Amino acid sequence: MDKKTLRNDLILIGSLLLAAIIAFIIILVTRTKKNLVATVRVQNQVVLTIDLNKENDKHYYVDGTNGQVHIHVKDGAVAVIESNCPHQDCVHMGYIKESGRPIICAYNSVSITIEGSSSHDIEVG
Amino acid sequence: MKRLSLLTIFLILPLASCSKNEEPIFEKKVFCFDTMMEIKLYEGTEEDVNKIEEIFLRLDKLSDNYQARDITNVYTLNQTNNDVQVSSDLYDLLTVSYLASNKDAKYFNPMCGSLSKLWKESLKNQQIPAESLITEEVNKIKNSSILLKNDNVIQRLGEAEIDLGAIAKGYALDEVKKYLDSKNLNKYLINGGYSSILLGEKNSDDGYYSVGIKDLDNYSLNLKKCFVSTSGVSEQGVKIGETTYSHIVNPYTGSAINNFDAVVVISDCGYLGDALSTSLMMSSIDEIKQVEASCGVKVIAIKDSAIVYKSE
Repeated sequence: MDKKTLRNDLILIGSLLLAAIIAFIIILVTRTKKNLVATVRVQNQVVLTIDLNKENDKHYYVDGTNGQVHIHVKDGAVAVIESNCPHQDCVHMGYIKESGRPIICAYNSVSITIEGSSSHDIEVG
Repeated sequence: MKRLSLLTIFLILPLASCSKNEEPIFEKKVFCFDTMMEIKLYEGTEEDVNKIEEIFLRLDKLSDNYQARDITNVYTLNQTNNDVQVSSDLYDLLTVSYLASNKDAKYFNPMCGSLSKLWKESLKNQQIPAESLITEEVNKIKNSSILLKNDNVIQRLGEAEIDLGAIAKGYALDEVKKYLDSKNLNKYLINGGYSSILLGEKNSDDGYYSVGIKDLDNYSLNLKKCFVSTSGVSEQGVKIGETTYSHIVNPYTGSAINNFDAVVVISDCGYLGDALSTSLMMSSIDEIKQVEASCGVKVIAIKDSAIVYKSE
């Protein structure tokens, strides 16, 4: 193998390696930078989806199985701010903005989950 | 030819690194047990998902102590002191509850139903129940028991009500695991409302899931093929003054003050993990160590957003 061929081979390998790294980074970034979407369900039915990147300071009212649940979206986060449930656990959870932990109003069978980025596969607690 | 081979290798390399699909092929959320159960299967069929949902819905009905359903359930048992014929799965659930409480999960008691209700009703109004009422409920627990008779017949003795809320999801996950094993399915994540979790293998190279713990930043466990049971006060706890009162009550003293903010138990049995995580919320660290040794489980105890005990 002469010097010229070797040099060309090295250039080719270098270019391909660079292209592979760039492609890998692009795939990685697009995979992790998903839009954060809050999905609201009553029992098992999806009744509302909210794009948390687009909507801000908006109020939504969802009819649960025992009454209405008042949902608020602010600064990329979502909360139940009013519910007729006896224990108010859903209201006490406050605003959530990461996937992993849903807001659940068991009394009204309403759940709000955020689908998007999370550093864990699941969070217990 | 050499160049062509190199070209092929370098083109395949980035694609291969991203080709393993970690998304489940079947995913379903089921509202039951007063929470949201999540089924994620990386193999199997839609029929498997439906079967798992069926298991959840059935055990939710059976363990319900707040209302009558279309089958004999815990609510039915709480209405009478007479013999009641129950299904074999409710009988089994009551049996394992009784066994767990009489062995290693000594602060878990399936007869805590009326004491729990007393606390929940009071805390709803930001009040602590009167001492006399707590003593009355504790005495009811002392004088009550479950008789497990032949042919799936149950008799509740005494006035205390049965509450299987602390153990039912774990038991349901045990039933789900039996089903998945029978179908030779290994890649799954079954989330029982974030407090009871059944982990199979992840669809990745090593099969491990990254498991975070609420209120512990930058902390994660790499786990597979196990149950993760968690009890904690962060969601259902109520702060009155400087004290946080829990939904987890001590059957001996009637107190709703726990020793920890959360306890995580990693085990190979769903119902036992659930019973232990409840019980260990009221245990000392020495008692946790004893339980670890006798049950072969791993425990993490958390207080003030820090780990105060972790198994070796």
